[in-house]
Amino acid sequence: MPRTISELGIALRDGSTTPRALLAEALAHVERSDKDLNAYLTVTRELAEQQAAAAVHMLEDHPETASPLCGIPMALKDVLCVDGIETTAGSKMLRGFKPPYTGTAVQRLFDAGAVCIGKTNCDEFAMGSSTENSAYGPVGNPWDIERVPGGSSGGSAATVAAGSVPYSLGTDTGGSIRQPAALSGVVGFKPTYGRISRYGLIAFASSLDQIGPFTRTVEDCALVYSAIAGHDPRDSTSDPRAVDDPLASLRAGVAGMRLGIPREYLGEGTEPGVRAAVEAAFRVLEAQGATLQDVSLPSTDVALSVYYIIAPAECSSNLARYDGVRFGNRVERASLTDMYLQTREAGFGNEVKRRIMLGTYALSSGYYDAYYRQAQKVRTLVSQEFDGVFKEVDAIVCPTSPSVAFPMGSRDDPLSMYMCDVVTLPANLAGVPGISVPCGFVDGLPVGLQVIAPRFEDSRVLRVAHAYEQATSFHTVLSPYASEAA
Amino acid sequence: MTLSRDDVDHIATLARIGLTDAEKDRLLGELEAILGHIARLQQVDTSALAETAQVGDLVNVMRADEPDAPIGASAALRNAPASDGNYFVVGAIQGTDLDA
Repeated sequence: MPRTISELGIALRDGSTTPRALLAEALAHVERSDKDLNAYLTVTRELAEQQAAAAVHMLEDHPETASPLCGIPMALKDVLCVDGIETTAGSKMLRGFKPPYTGTAVQRLFDAGAVCIGKTNCDEFAMGSSTENSAYGPVGNPWDIERVPGGSSGGSAATVAAGSVPYSLGTDTGGSIRQPAALSGVVGFKPTYGRISRYGLIAFASSLDQIGPFTRTVEDCALVYSAIAGHDPRDSTSDPRAVDDPLASLRAGVAGMRLGIPREYLGEGTEPGVRAAVEAAFRVLEAQGATLQDVSLPSTDVALSVYYIIAPAECSSNLARYDGVRFGNRVERASLTDMYLQTREAGFGNEVKRRIMLGTYALSSGYYDAYYRQAQKVRTLVSQEFDGVFKEVDAIVCPTSPSVAFPMGSRDDPLSMYMCDVVTLPANLAGVPGISVPCGFVDGLPVGLQVIAPRFEDSRVLRVAHAYEQATSFHTVLSPYASEAA
Repeated sequence: MTLSRDDVDHIATLARIGLTDAEKDRLLGELEAILGHIARLQQVDTSALAETAQVGDLVNVMRADEPDAPIGASAALRNAPASDGNYFVVGAIQGTDLDA
């Protein structure tokens, strides 16, 4: 199903297809492609059939006012809770866990008539950049199944790239939507921190986590974003100010806009092919009437260190809840302490243990000031640098990832994996919105262009990305799995 | 930054994670490498910088002090590894010297 949400919305209303037909098509595609890709942890056929039946009525009764998402199949990263549907976070710890409630962003999609076909594979508790840390096996990249799709939302990126569904939700703590979008050749958007409620999202690092969409086009991305954005009293970090309609300014173009290129984001770690594709993208934006200029974010390098203190510190606290008492799996032992130790030893994988250990160390007595407090102060500096740059330019344009999709198993050293996020994680530290949009190929592997704007300028991010996308055709090139479906 | 095996034992105890000797050896090396990389953080002059705990500008988010519908005991216990009536069941708390 390589068609877009916009196209399917028209087809549903002119009678050329139905929610049930789209569902059958999506399930058949997953049946064929997922033996190779392993993008799904659970296929929610029963839920999807109920939702498709409800969507039929919504479209029949109110064809004009029904949401653009009504009757359209989609998938959810397996860190997003759905009432009664197994939600594992890619961890053995939560095998069999069925949440007693549905998260806000997901509920908003369900209320709009979305048809959820499944829960997608991801790095365990969203910790990783390749989806190789899933307890349920890695995900194949639809462009080359020997390579990773990026991570941690690799399953959500792969299923859209493969053409099983036109959109999915992922989460982005340090780049976990934008980086897999780039490596899988789709659009991936991390909105401003506070724009999307985190209620019902299994927490990794609460001050950084944000939910967002994967789509084929920027217009579709704006449609999904509009449906899930906005205040939620159940998340006290959810922002109450009104959400502007990104579709209103989507086609306004970039003529007269000032776009900044941060030198530090095109450092020596950037692969030559990625650099060439992104520099060609800059020229496209210039041809559209934007003014490009160099800007500087000097703390980019040290931002990686800030992130790898703050994210593990928050994770060590958030994951303390997995103690074998109220939910999750338990290893029975005579004493309570032994039960904790053995439950957490058996339930968590290597990367999760590593980050809990790192975070516990950074928060421990004697090291708190040197690591955690110092990282919080440098985080302020990272934010201030963005504020400064946004006085000079309207948005930042840069690569999403220094590399294209890499072969599975090629980055077994934790530090080399952490480097994947060097140009995405500063946006999480500062809470600013960022998107990745397809901007070329290197030896058949996709490259992503990242656009970053000031906080709450989500519409501007989408507007710049849309202007670029419409001037190019990279988003229309389909992966082998999507071409077969066409 | 040098880390010792005793440090790894201490952190694992604080984090309540059981680790094999082989895992502890591996983690010692990995954590040292990561902390070595992160050490550049110490070179940043932060004397004039306040800490950022969260990026939002919301302060003291309040709501009316009115009870919402509860989730209910049976839903709350649905995923419990062991339960009895309306209670979670855990092992004996006595007999641990972990924190001694």
